[in-house]
Amino acid sequence: MKTSKILAWASLAVGLIYFFVPLIGTLEFSLRMRRGAYSLDAYSTVFSDIQFRSTFGFSMLMALFTIIFGMLLVVPTAYWVRLRLPQMRPVVEFITLLPLVIPAIVIVFGYLRLYNSSSFIPFTGSTQGTNVLLVLSYMTLSLPYMYRSVDTAMRAIDVRTLTEAAEILGAKWPTILFRCIFPNVMSGVLSGAFITFAIVMGEFTMAALLNRPAFGPYLQLIGANRAYEPAALAVIAFAITWLSMGLLQLVSRFSKTAPLRP
Amino acid sequence: MSTAFPSFIDRRTVVDWLGIAPFMIFALMFLIVPTLYLVMGAFFTPDGDLTFNNIADLFTPSILSAYWISIRVSIASALGGAVIGFFLAWAIVLGGLPGWIRSSLLTFSGVASNFAGVPLAFSFLATLGRTGLVTVLLRDWLGFNLYGTGFNILSFFGLTITYMFFQIPLMVLILTPALDGMKKEWREASEILGASTWQYWRMVALPILWPSLMGTTLLLFANAFGAIATAYALTGSSLNIVPILLYAQIRGDVLHNANLGYALALGMIVITGISNVLYILLRMRAERWQK
Amino acid sequence: MSFLVLNNIKKSFGQTQVVKDFDMSIEKGEFVSFLGPSGCGKTTVLRMIAGFETPSDGTISISGKDQNRLKTNQRNIGMVFQAYALFPNMTVADNVAFGLKVAGKPKAEIDTRVKEMLKLISLEHLAERYPYQMSGGQQQRVALARALAPKPQVLLLDEPLSALDAKIRVSLREEIRQIQRQLGITTVFVTHDQEEALSISDRIVVMNAGRADQIGTPFEIYNRPATRFVASFVGTLNIIEATVVDPAANTVRMGDNVVTLRDSIGAMKSGDKVSVALRPEAGSMSDTAKGDTTITGAVISSHFLGSVIRTKIDIGGNPVSFDTFNAPDVVQPQPGETLSLRFMASDLLLVRD
Repeated sequence: MKTSKILAWASLAVGLIYFFVPLIGTLEFSLRMRRGAYSLDAYSTVFSDIQFRSTFGFSMLMALFTIIFGMLLVVPTAYWVRLRLPQMRPVVEFITLLPLVIPAIVIVFGYLRLYNSSSFIPFTGSTQGTNVLLVLSYMTLSLPYMYRSVDTAMRAIDVRTLTEAAEILGAKWPTILFRCIFPNVMSGVLSGAFITFAIVMGEFTMAALLNRPAFGPYLQLIGANRAYEPAALAVIAFAITWLSMGLLQLVSRFSKTAPLRP
Repeated sequence: MSTAFPSFIDRRTVVDWLGIAPFMIFALMFLIVPTLYLVMGAFFTPDGDLTFNNIADLFTPSILSAYWISIRVSIASALGGAVIGFFLAWAIVLGGLPGWIRSSLLTFSGVASNFAGVPLAFSFLATLGRTGLVTVLLRDWLGFNLYGTGFNILSFFGLTITYMFFQIPLMVLILTPALDGMKKEWREASEILGASTWQYWRMVALPILWPSLMGTTLLLFANAFGAIATAYALTGSSLNIVPILLYAQIRGDVLHNANLGYALALGMIVITGISNVLYILLRMRAERWQK
Repeated sequence: MSFLVLNNIKKSFGQTQVVKDFDMSIEKGEFVSFLGPSGCGKTTVLRMIAGFETPSDGTISISGKDQNRLKTNQRNIGMVFQAYALFPNMTVADNVAFGLKVAGKPKAEIDTRVKEMLKLISLEHLAERYPYQMSGGQQQRVALARALAPKPQVLLLDEPLSALDAKIRVSLREEIRQIQRQLGITTVFVTHDQEEALSISDRIVVMNAGRADQIGTPFEIYNRPATRFVASFVGTLNIIEATVVDPAANTVRMGDNVVTLRDSIGAMKSGDKVSVALRPEAGSMSDTAKGDTTITGAVISSHFLGSVIRTKIDIGGNPVSFDTFNAPDVVQPQPGETLSLRFMASDLLLVRD
């Protein structure tokens, strides 16, 4: 018994060192900009950088669109598959897992070949078109996470009974979907949204290859050219991830304590 | 249900299928067709003739070495992540640590497994780079010159330990439920039948966990294999791994053959695809046992 | 000297004492059941015998040898768990062989013993199956074979039947008892099911709140419960609150009836409350029935249950049930009518609270 406990604490210590040393190192490095004293200079440089603001805002906007359109695609699909096409579940689930199998760089490579300015659907022919393609690519990337969290929430509320109850009361399907289903799977939608937010904010490959001024490529650019700002940016990025995941935990804990089923 | 074998499509069936049409169109347009386009392209010449030359050209030394480094980094970071992650998951599930440690570590793992990409590279540069905190502390306090040992964060080894930062928590997240599934009675039964702790792990626990461990390691492998942002931000293009080579090819056709780029992508899909399929198969096997 | 001796065992988890001063001697080859509701400490006692828990105080010895210092894997005890606990990665044969394998027995000996064990539980044909391919009853028989294979000195059964269907439960408990007799192995069986305990045991320990309320044969436990708890937990005894009338004459009052008890009331005075137990099958409505005591009360309800009619009458505020065997000429009592119940005074048992 004794040895196993020592081993447990030792494993934990190794894990904590692995997790915390880089974080402490980053924090310390980000404060080193002024010679001889710790300061927040790196942060003020970052925050006053116009490019930081514009790329950050751009990525936020992209994340927002990704979440909205992603959910508009995923929630009705998950609902419909549970209600009407249960035989298609394995197929749909398999498709939603594909983005974990096919590397992002391969997917975007395909886009660039398929949707370039000389193709049938020239997404990349215009700035707006490229932005749309970027949102679509983010939707693809976040598909596994969105679908899973929504589908889990739907399993918990038994959508079929809910729908039948609404139908008996005379509700039309938009009413059912937006008034009955969406609010009840809100915890799943929010979980999916937060994880999507975290993914989109830091995403590099898609944005860089589609040549859009997003936060990820900006980070890379700063990393290649500056010394202390990258560390400050890493701290900020880590804070964003923490925030998203913290909210996700909060939402899932909240929905767990809510009485889903008597 | 009357829709088993409709002689002709009835209205209800049409409506049913229309319901998932948007999703299917989306998946086709932005997931399946682009991928298939590359896969097909790998077998054609730029003029549209069928060929296996692109595949054969993958076996040239420079591309092979890119695959080889990628595979090595992925294997090393997957194994490292798997071993440390396993011990951590074991510690919080079976190690008898206080309950709050378990929930904190799981929350933290959720964050850390998503903390990848460019910022992760910055973190490790700030920590283990030439002027990073650990490098400096080792030099000032212990008089130990880390870079004098040949260590470089911009190398195979540096990339491996950087990847492990998200590999370890991913392992913890996936393995914790599997360890939770280990019944206390198995351990007690083996103990009362006279087995030592070591015999229990060798004959019962590890064989039961083997599919989960193996499967998750494969998932970590695929995870590392497809990753590019961290490597690119960390090493620029100095480390010649497959995703970076592909990135350079997309940017500027460094291979001077678009269809060879497709073959490069096909190679990535095949490798991540195989490891994911094996992961799913192993997982099914693990679940069968843990019922 | 008894074979398995539990001497003054105590066990506390933090502030709560779950086992209090538990004493018990079990003879070689005896089948003893620990019976009680969940949380009474029966499983904890079993787990202390197995060595999974260490007693806070007291000693456990098997065949004169103190077990406290031995680890679980040194005790040579067999155990069957509630949830089967078969190793899912091994076939039936490998599961049964496990204890012999870790003991380093030669392969030929292991093979012979495994065959012997599978024959004992009549599952030779399933030797190569995996646990998930078998029913619960089959798994539990394999678990029994696995526990018995290394020839343990004691067999512990921790509610082995409670996860099974009612029908299999009965057949398996008979099989367990038959195998136990055949091997003559000392067995401790933990259960919360009184019928199970009564049908299978040489002796029963009825446990309540960490203590043994009564230790005795099934016959004694059922017919002469020592405490009110035992009376209510084992069987369907009626408990009647009575008032002492005359301690010297052993008379008590229940409702309007004054009856004489066979048990000595002892040091009580007139007016004290006592609890008296009466088995439902002891009384009869017929005036000509055997008996020396009659009590009268109003019928509360009467239910026809097929082979018996169960009637409840009110005796001084206590509902008293009794069963009458069904017969063509039997008249079912109607609620509200007054009825006399006749029985032997020796059927009235004074029970401790």
